[in-house]
Amino acid sequence: MTRTDELIDSLVERAAPVQRLRPPLVRTALWLGFAGLLIALIAAGHGMRADVVQQLRQPAFAITVGAALATGILSALAAFTVSIPGRSRWWLALPLPPLVVWMSTIGYGCFADWISLGPEGFRFGEELRCAALLVLTSVPLATALAAMLRYAAMLRSGAVALTGGLAIAAITAAVLPLFHDHDATAMILVWNLGTAALITGAAGLFGRRIFGWMAARLLAPGVHG
Amino acid sequence: MSPPPRRHQTPLTLVASSASGSAARGGQRDWSSLMASAQDGDRQAYRTLLQDVTPYLRALASRCFRDPRDTEDAVQDVLLTVHAVRNTYDPARPFGPWLVAIANRRIIDRLRRQTRTRLREVEFSPEHETFLPEAANFQVEEAPPDEAALHAAITALPRDQREAINLLKLKEMSLKEAALASGRSVSALKVATHRAIKSLRKRLRQSDETP
Repeated sequence: MTRTDELIDSLVERAAPVQRLRPPLVRTALWLGFAGLLIALIAAGHGMRADVVQQLRQPAFAITVGAALATGILSALAAFTVSIPGRSRWWLALPLPPLVVWMSTIGYGCFADWISLGPEGFRFGEELRCAALLVLTSVPLATALAAMLRYAAMLRSGAVALTGGLAIAAITAAVLPLFHDHDATAMILVWNLGTAALITGAAGLFGRRIFGWMAARLLAPGVHG
Repeated sequence: MSPPPRRHQTPLTLVASSASGSAARGGQRDWSSLMASAQDGDRQAYRTLLQDVTPYLRALASRCFRDPRDTEDAVQDVLLTVHAVRNTYDPARPFGPWLVAIANRRIIDRLRRQTRTRLREVEFSPEHETFLPEAANFQVEEAPPDEAALHAAITALPRDQREAINLLKLKEMSLKEAALASGRSVSALKVATHRAIKSLRKRLRQSDETP
């Protein structure tokens, strides 16, 4: 009993004014703004693929990119919302509709091309550069998102890590085809699904651990006002 | 072992918004506006809030833990978390769900930790110990009586009282044996013992209070 009273005393002593978090919508917009800036920088440095405008006129390509982008945006919104205590778990279902569209367009496109092209569909061109681009996009995005979601560390860390991972994966996957031409369409599947699985999986695996470390820092006396 | 009786629960104050619910409702202080003030640095409001929510958190935790110490630890976990993430509270939203979400998460974490610990550890009780408490380094629950102080107090008694205590209590003689040994009447010995014990009690209490 007394110890709880003492704890309250010490917490009150350390109760400095705090800056309230902005609403999830605003924070999502901030993160997306950062992502946009990053992509613009990469586009300036690396250059987009030559036929990007033509490609975007193709419905299949446009739907894939659009669905991936929508998945990314809605996942980010879901992650920011669910990271706040007391918000409904149903927010986690927000990115599911575009996710289904995204996955089915890639799946369908690949299946159709697989039949027409056969094993020729797999070709390894400048995949290494593509992998470098993948890291260049996803690592800063993940770092920014983890920093912004650090308060989720003590609550629903698994769900937040997974949704955040999906947001990064979807945005990276939406951006990659704008820079690199995967002639072999099966590679699109590999890149899209591979990226999504890799980043979401990594977020699921390490997210909890990273959040656990953050939680320890947040709770450490003296660190937080 | 039966679960402990449920404690009285403070009903939650669910406030729709700070604009409509900043005033106290039904005698309950408004947790939402208290937290809003606490976020702005009002320590008194913060203290009131933490003290108000503690019984409620205790009631929530006591549903999940049998040992009151675990309940108290869980309450403290929740209070620490509330402190660490108090900037995530939006005064435009109800306080209740925010608090309950934090509390449930911390209680579940603690339950999981306990289950993991129980799977690989066995609690060590004094029955498992084959040494004497001193050799096993167990803490003796009551402090041993201070023999030196008792002897000093007895020595300081008047002669007839000291003799009565010596024969009847230290040598454990019966009243008749003591009467024969001392040559005094039984009633005189009884009176002397009574007075001696009274003054010993007084003297030892004094020495306890001023160590």
